[in-house]
Amino acid sequence: MAILEVQHIEKHFGDTQVLSDISFSLEEGQALSIIGSSGSGKTTLLRCLNFLERPDHGAISVKGNVIFDASDPSTQAEKDIRQKRLHFGLVFQNFNLFPQYTALQNVTLARELLAKERGGEGKEDIAKAGRELLDQMGLADRADHYPHQLSGGQQQRVAIARALALQPDILCFDEPTSALDPELTGEVLRVIRSLAEQKTTMIIVTHEMAFARDVADQVIFMDGGVIVEQGDPREVIDHPKEERTKQFLSRYANG
Amino acid sequence: MFSFFASTEFQTVLSALNTGFVKTLQLFFVTLVGAVPLGLVISFGSMSRIPPLRWLTKTVVWMVRGTPLVLQIIALYYVPGLKGFHIWSGGESGRFTAVAVAFVINYACYFSEIYRGGIQGVPVGQQEAGLVLGMTKRQIFFKITLLQMIKRIVPPMSNEIITLVKDTSLARVVALQEVIWMGESFMKGNQGYAGLVWPLFFTAVYYLAFSGIATILLGKLEKKLEYFH
Ligand SMILES: Nc1ncnc2c1ncn2[C@@H]1O[C@H](COP(=O)(O)OP(=O)(O)OP(=O)(O)O)[C@@H](O)[C@H]1O
Ligand SMILES: [Mg+2]
Repeated sequence: MAILEVQHIEKHFGDTQVLSDISFSLEEGQALSIIGSSGSGKTTLLRCLNFLERPDHGAISVKGNVIFDASDPSTQAEKDIRQKRLHFGLVFQNFNLFPQYTALQNVTLARELLAKERGGEGKEDIAKAGRELLDQMGLADRADHYPHQLSGGQQQRVAIARALALQPDILCFDEPTSALDPELTGEVLRVIRSLAEQKTTMIIVTHEMAFARDVADQVIFMDGGVIVEQGDPREVIDHPKEERTKQFLSRYANG
Repeated sequence: MFSFFASTEFQTVLSALNTGFVKTLQLFFVTLVGAVPLGLVISFGSMSRIPPLRWLTKTVVWMVRGTPLVLQIIALYYVPGLKGFHIWSGGESGRFTAVAVAFVINYACYFSEIYRGGIQGVPVGQQEAGLVLGMTKRQIFFKITLLQMIKRIVPPMSNEIITLVKDTSLARVVALQEVIWMGESFMKGNQGYAGLVWPLFFTAVYYLAFSGIATILLGKLEKKLEYFH
């Protein structure tokens, strides 16, 4: 059974339709890449999954449970949204680290707040888990640095550790390397690649075509708010069937 | 010269100035205690999602910031009485209340604009990062936004607070017996040159000391928040 099932999602901003009839599913342990030109609705889709936007139509199920259905108000209760958000993690294009906290505190803050509410883990356990995550990101020696003391690539890796700390079912990335200098994208992509090798379930919006092809088990090409083509990355990226996909990919032909 | 400092005239001047200065301090702290929270309420009003409330608040802020504080003090103190509403009790305590109300309203409007800038200056991405991590709105405000907001408002608030130190002297327009009023009463006397210069000199010393201390304390706070950007 798919861990994530997205059915007929539709989203408008005022009169503009930004997403229409978006449907796909994702198996546990798989990575899905979403590619597409600017304004095609990729960010909006991730924001819908993370309950930062509310779709006008459609349904989202995680592990067989409907967590959102636009036609069923009982799935939209404000009080449940927080809990439902925890199924997903989101890594932002521009990191959005909390500047007043160290790298480690960024990673542990939300988990500490949750533990305080629900009981369970102690502060030391959470800190230990946080250090392990930073270590996994290659940042063991940066735990006590503040975000402004870190490079963009290091900041993004802290942001990934922060998202992982809550052990989401599905980790979403919104162009995780777009805000980085070219020489810093490698370190972030390496970390995501290793997450894929550990069978982390992920959705990765990216403009790095080679990366999408190598890492993803499935790729979706979006244009104008619709899914134009989806399938095996080697098929879609190397042998696109649709004219719009071909046109889009031709811009990356040398990249 | 030294005999002047030992003279009873000097003692009289000094004790009068001290009394005036206590009044000045009272006005300063009452204004801060009233305007700091009221400013927050006004800033929420000016960011309200209800348009009439937003417009009303913005109009009041515009009027208060667009007219001199002296004018507001005079209007608030005299106009109700002229219309037959004797809301201020007579004498010094009535004057103080009227002046304090004018100061609180005036400074709250200035503070509200600073707060608004501080709140809106924190990127929405901060709030969204908190939401995605399962935090409540309350946790996000207290654990993430608040400190970033304070960092943003401390420098402009410092400016306003130093201005407030000096603005307290405007209270003498309705004869509130703050430090300048006290000093002036000697200048008008018949002590000649010494009667003019020394009260002026000591009044300036009081203000310098006061604003100096305020500057140091606020500078310390600013330094404390320098550890993050
Ligand atoms: N809050 C909003 N209000 C109105 N329109 C919006 C809003 N957010 C996004 N849009 C519009 O929705 C469309 C899709 O935006 P979205 O950010 O999802 O695209 P994207 O595929 O992520 O693009 P990019 O590659 O540039 O990040 C765009 O036309 C955008 O202008
Ligand atoms: Mg985007």
